Amino acid sequence: MVAHNFRHAFFCAVITLIIAWPILGFKLVAEGTQITVNGASAFTWIAVAVAAFIVFLFQLFRDRIMGGLGGLAELNPMADREPMPQEKRVRLENIGLGVLIAIALFWPFFVSRGSVDLATLVLIYIMLALGLNVVVGLAGLLDLGYVAFYAVGAYTFALLSNYWGISFWMALPIGGLMAALFGLVLGFPVLRLRGDYLAIVTLGFGEIIRILLNNWTSVTGGPNGIGGIPDPTLFGMEFGRRVKEEGNTSFHETFGIAYAGEHKVIFLYLIALVLAIITAFAIRRLMRMPVGRSWEALREDEIAARSLGLSRTGVKLSAFTIGAFFAGFAGTVFASKQGFISPESFVFLESAIILAIVVLGGMGSQMGVILAAIAVTILPELAREFAEYRMLIFGAAMVLMMVWRPQGLLPMRRRQIKLKAET
Amino acid sequence: MIRNFTKLALATGISAAIVLPASVLAEIKIGIAGPVTGPVAQYGDMQFSGARMAIKQINADGGVDGEMLEAVEMDDVCDPKQAVSVANNMINEGVSFVVGHLCSSSTQPASDIYEDEGILMITPASTSPAITERGYELVFRTIGLDSMQGPAAANHLISLDPKRVAVVHDKQQYGEGIATEVRDTLEEAGVNVVMFEGITAGAKDFSSLVTKLRQADVDYVYYGGYHPELGLILRQAQQAELDATFMGPEGVGNKDINTIAGDAAEGLLVTLPPSFDEKEENQELVQAFEEAGEDPSGPFVLTSYTAVQLIAEGIEQAGSTDPFEVADALREGSFETPIGTVRYDDKGDMESFEFVVYEWHADGSKTPVNQ
Amino acid sequence: MQDLLYFCQQLINGLTIGSTYALIAIGYTMVYGIIGMINFAHGEIYMIGAYTALIAITGLATLGIAWVPLVLLIALICAVIVSSSTGWAVERVAYRPVRGRHRLIPLISAIGMSIFLQNYVHLAQGSRNIGFPALIEGGFRFGGEDSFQMSVSWIQITIFVTTFVCMTALSLFISRSRIGRACRAVSQDLGMANLLGIDTNRIISATFVIGAALAAVAGLLLGMYYGSVDPLFGFIAGLKAFTAAVLGGIGSIPGAMLGGLILGIAEAMTSGYLSGEYKDVISFSLLILILLFKPTGLLGKPEVEKI
Repeated sequence: MVAHNFRHAFFCAVITLIIAWPILGFKLVAEGTQITVNGASAFTWIAVAVAAFIVFLFQLFRDRIMGGLGGLAELNPMADREPMPQEKRVRLENIGLGVLIAIALFWPFFVSRGSVDLATLVLIYIMLALGLNVVVGLAGLLDLGYVAFYAVGAYTFALLSNYWGISFWMALPIGGLMAALFGLVLGFPVLRLRGDYLAIVTLGFGEIIRILLNNWTSVTGGPNGIGGIPDPTLFGMEFGRRVKEEGNTSFHETFGIAYAGEHKVIFLYLIALVLAIITAFAIRRLMRMPVGRSWEALREDEIAARSLGLSRTGVKLSAFTIGAFFAGFAGTVFASKQGFISPESFVFLESAIILAIVVLGGMGSQMGVILAAIAVTILPELAREFAEYRMLIFGAAMVLMMVWRPQGLLPMRRRQIKLKAET
Repeated sequence: MIRNFTKLALATGISAAIVLPASVLAEIKIGIAGPVTGPVAQYGDMQFSGARMAIKQINADGGVDGEMLEAVEMDDVCDPKQAVSVANNMINEGVSFVVGHLCSSSTQPASDIYEDEGILMITPASTSPAITERGYELVFRTIGLDSMQGPAAANHLISLDPKRVAVVHDKQQYGEGIATEVRDTLEEAGVNVVMFEGITAGAKDFSSLVTKLRQADVDYVYYGGYHPELGLILRQAQQAELDATFMGPEGVGNKDINTIAGDAAEGLLVTLPPSFDEKEENQELVQAFEEAGEDPSGPFVLTSYTAVQLIAEGIEQAGSTDPFEVADALREGSFETPIGTVRYDDKGDMESFEFVVYEWHADGSKTPVNQ
Repeated sequence: MQDLLYFCQQLINGLTIGSTYALIAIGYTMVYGIIGMINFAHGEIYMIGAYTALIAITGLATLGIAWVPLVLLIALICAVIVSSSTGWAVERVAYRPVRGRHRLIPLISAIGMSIFLQNYVHLAQGSRNIGFPALIEGGFRFGGEDSFQMSVSWIQITIFVTTFVCMTALSLFISRSRIGRACRAVSQDLGMANLLGIDTNRIISATFVIGAALAAVAGLLLGMYYGSVDPLFGFIAGLKAFTAAVLGGIGSIPGAMLGGLILGIAEAMTSGYLSGEYKDVISFSLLILILLFKPTGLLGKPEVEKI
């Protein structure tokens, strides 16, 4: 056993050396017009050697280390506590939610403009993740091209305002419906594909839509994007310094207060907040409705669900369309916040990030998704010094999370109904 | 309160002789926004080193009307989304003058916010005409426009009397913008443009494109875009023995193209802003950069230096740090800067910005082409 | 005549790209065939292979070794070793612990791994495009002096021949050798194969290693053919190869070859007769169309729903 362990540990250490040594140890640099290799600094070499040695030790004593880690669970005081009774949990959750919303409503008035702006972005991601959660978490359909619907929402608003001068409030439902329509039309033919085939096809759709937006220069401006997207108004009051649209008044003049840029940022934040809350509640209700139940049923066992008379296409399509609808919402808010959109905001990485939020949060769980959206958007901002390592850490975190806590931060818990024992 | 009092005391003490209102001794914050990380960070480095140098020199000469400049640096990664949050953070910091951003797609959404909030912005690198086309009062630049560079390149091509020209671009804002200008100018002059086509940025395989160019029997190819793709096109064209002369904008004119294209880069024509660092009147400045261990030769170093200098001179001429008054001063005045005499039109573009056609060589050097 | 030559030229361009897509697609298809997961990080392994080959070639040039066959051989060996090791390690670190869980879990883990590897190379080697020396130069041409000439370069021939040899060797390996038989057994029924005394962990590792080795071969060949590498290019090529694998029927090795060639030719023809801008649109549309009519790809086995 020891000999085997030793051999294995040695093998792993050698592999570590082989992987790290060429890529880290030699740097390709351009000297004038020639490419040469430079050996890396002594520090890198030592680091690689140390890494290999650590791998060696870890593999050698793997059983003992893992055993030790397993013991940690016993130290956790929460480990053997009885799960909270459902009613108490639901009550606690509702109180928590109420407090959270109250804080979220008043918080922007006390912090800086930059933070409010960031929070708006977080809310947009929450909307996106909640929408994708319906598709991936509840219905179990792997959608890798979700960003396409986000783009449809954003571009719908941008084009409507650009060509017909339609305002945010008019465009919001149109953007959502347009995205839903795209979901319906695209979803209809592909939803009979299974699992991973569906994944690649949705990925393809995402790319196709981005490329078309980029190529259709005469309408979408192509790579130049669309600028001058108006901000939302409050009953015809604009938040800019000067009124841009005829017939509108400006917010600060109506109320006779001094102009402050914060008004606009906070107003946008509040809109995003309200929309995010609407999204969360709408989906929460849907989950309890027959359609929501059938999503989960189909995810858990397609054959059983079909044998109970559920229409596979109908159920999948409803999930796909509703998910797309909320992405359209988020897209409209995004376009309004940015004032300028171009296809480069809707690349595959964006889809991957939204998917990561859903999975990190715990598929199907709304609170978890909200927490994960906050974490994924804010952590990189906080870790600006590590900006270069940001994506590296992001990738590693995704892997580690899947290995150690695949159920996500806050796993979904089913509502249970117990029959009361007769007394 | 105590802090204010000390400030006041200090201010009266120091500025008594120069007769200045005590209240303005606060520092003037200059925001510098550009990519510190990300794929185009190398261009961001140029921007930052130019602006820092200008701030350092101005402060060493006693500041602007006695007030010191203070740099507020922020990283936008050239991502439109982050550019908006940078712009908001600039407002938090109380900045009223910004040098940036670098990429046109970042500059555009950020400038909406600056204009709204009364912040004067000078971009040293964004060349998209759309940025100054929206009638904004506070948006300026110290670089030429795609719509200036395109015709410059096209006019050179016209002078070469081409028979069949292909115009190719990378489907990005910068590349397609210039390529469109080139095509339009060529067509106006009656040149036979046989092909106008986009490629995918980041692609590696151009064998089909090269075959198509050979089939079209072109003698000149204009490429709008950056060096990684053009380098590969040049190399694959050489391999397929395509006999045509290539031309590109400043985005292709750096030595990296030689490491990719090798010999195939010989004879490539490039339009570049004149090398400001080689001008005689700038030698003192170049020396200052070299002493500080910085490289003054990048295309955006001196434009960004100039941006800071213009802000400083604008404040001096306006006699105020109000961005609107400074903007008026910039529009009215004429300024001697390292990139030449700067005069602004109503939109905030320089009235003239010269481009020079260079011939690129296999060893990475370039020689100006006499027209 | 001229049009025919032009068509043939685009066909050759397409076949060349298509065969490299096929080489990379093998990695996707074998892994999928055996454990039913999409190894999203496979494109990155191909990219690492190309970087290693470039480092080896440049290093040898500095040492003054310039005899092309030797340089190629050493570069190939280095690339294969490093790529296979990476493939092996990726499976151990990111996939084995999550094997058998909900099928989204390994996929997310794979996307994470892909992002990680991309940025690892980005940090170690920088983000700029680096030129790749063309070691195999020249070629020959057909057609009249004054009309369009069709040209075929040696590197194109090398790519085509190598792919063909690799594919044949792999097919033979899978159908004849002991490990190959075990591979097939595992892909049919993992649990059963385990019961019959096959070390399934080892077989799964072996598939990752073989896929990675072929990706490294593709990395070296394509690096020379195209002329530059950057940390992102693995992802783009990987996406195409994955599309090719699905098109041909994921899990089937001849399917990967067929899918790669179809995709390559479709791309070349789109660029040649339509416009390069729509290359990716056409290839993805083609994929969607084929999947609509054959939901498991061209040569894929129809999935039987078991109750």
